[in-house]
Amino acid sequence: MRSTEQLRNLYHTELKDQLAGMEKERIRIKRLKIATAIFGFILFLILQNIYKPGIAITIGIIGVIIILAAVVYIFMRYTTYRNQFKQEVVSKIIKLINPEYQYDANRHIDMHEFNESNLFSTKAERCQGDDYVEGKIESTDFKFSELNPTYKVETREDGKTTTEWHSIYRGLFFHADFNKHIQGTTFVLPDKADRLLGIKRKNLKRDKENYELVNLENPEFEKIYDVYGSSQVEARYILTPAIMEAMVTIAKKYGRNMYFSFKGERLYCAVLYNKPLFEPRIKKSGVNYADVEEMFHLFGLIETIIHEMNLNTRIWTKE
Amino acid sequence: MTTGIIIIGVVAVLLISIIGMYNSLIRKRNEVDNAFGGMDVQLKKRYDLIPNLVATVKQYANHEKSLLEKITELRSKATSGKLSNDEKVALDNQISESFKGIMVAVENYPDLKASDNFINLQRTMNEVESQISAARRTYNAVITDYNNSIQVFPKNIIAGFMHLKRKEVFVIAEVERQNVNVNNLFNN
Repeated sequence: MRSTEQLRNLYHTELKDQLAGMEKERIRIKRLKIATAIFGFILFLILQNIYKPGIAITIGIIGVIIILAAVVYIFMRYTTYRNQFKQEVVSKIIKLINPEYQYDANRHIDMHEFNESNLFSTKAERCQGDDYVEGKIESTDFKFSELNPTYKVETREDGKTTTEWHSIYRGLFFHADFNKHIQGTTFVLPDKADRLLGIKRKNLKRDKENYELVNLENPEFEKIYDVYGSSQVEARYILTPAIMEAMVTIAKKYGRNMYFSFKGERLYCAVLYNKPLFEPRIKKSGVNYADVEEMFHLFGLIETIIHEMNLNTRIWTKE
Repeated sequence: MTTGIIIIGVVAVLLISIIGMYNSLIRKRNEVDNAFGGMDVQLKKRYDLIPNLVATVKQYANHEKSLLEKITELRSKATSGKLSNDEKVALDNQISESFKGIMVAVENYPDLKASDNFINLQRTMNEVESQISAARRTYNAVITDYNNSIQVFPKNIIAGFMHLKRKEVFVIAEVERQNVNVNNLFNN
């Protein structure tokens, strides 16, 4: 794993200047946004005080066209600014972690792979995301991206159908080749504090399948996670004492909003961050080390999981 | 009249709860048997590996006769079919130790270590080991649940009538962490 020392070095030699160069652009975009807002407000005030409909409409139409043009222009500049950020900054951070990784700023993990994980009770019908990373560490291949899967909710009222898109979650999604053959499915979910009577839900229902609660021996692990699986024995086959320790360590590093599932040949993981990640700042200054460090930490999830859980130890029947 | 109904009501509630507790205890006992059955299946898989192991090692390491004979003997005992659950597990612990002894000896035969046969065998052994470990842990969890059920009040009364006894959890032999004394294997 690359050290923070090397990251600091990268920051000082390349990223800082790059970000400083982009500062001007950021301020320009910010000013344009403010200017457009003010213009819109003034236009609104003017229109309030004109009583001749003819003049009002003309001014109104011209004003709106100007605003629309401004919005489009700002959007185009922002897109260029953002792409530059991804190419010059984010991409370099990935390359520092491992030059062999492939990075695509505008791609995300396929929706069907997310649905395959079965991590949440609803299936995704649409997916947004970016910052896709793909690679392989020794025998373990993986995929990683920011993901926001959503589902449709249609409501009918008086013959009118309204469609709303609800978010399943927002954050990181990751999956990798697991080092043992898995027959069923095992879920490791954040511990739910909804224990009215001190009793955990005994079953989990997903896709019309029933998953039993599994109580494991590691008390620290049990405080952080709830485990449900299709088989008591297989859950323990996967979650050995060593793996449980590893997952406690991972939770300490990334917080308690982590969802895992072991299914098919893979390990799936979702981490909740209900905010956009790897995006350039507009409101505040973009030239700071903390932001770079945060991105480095987020990408670090890949190596943390693979190394802590020893996914490259291939001593069982799966190669 | 009303007192009569109340009494009937109370008795009915009591009866229903007793039946409920009885059924729950039966279920727990069955779960224990089921869990041991699951473990048994894995133990058998391990015994089945022994002939293959002996044959493979013999090809390259004929000097290790005593080790191989010892493990063959253990296997015969295990598959004789007349063991209690406790005896089965104790025997399996011995087999684990024996395996480890052979693995230590194998270090001296690089040709054997490198042979495909042996590598595949090792993977299968690790797999079975992992499965046995999982089965044992499940068994312990089920036993603990059973023990809790028969000891808490008021189920313990019903359990008493059913002659359900507390069962021991099996301590998982920490064979990986023990230094296998190869000499002991010769002397046993």
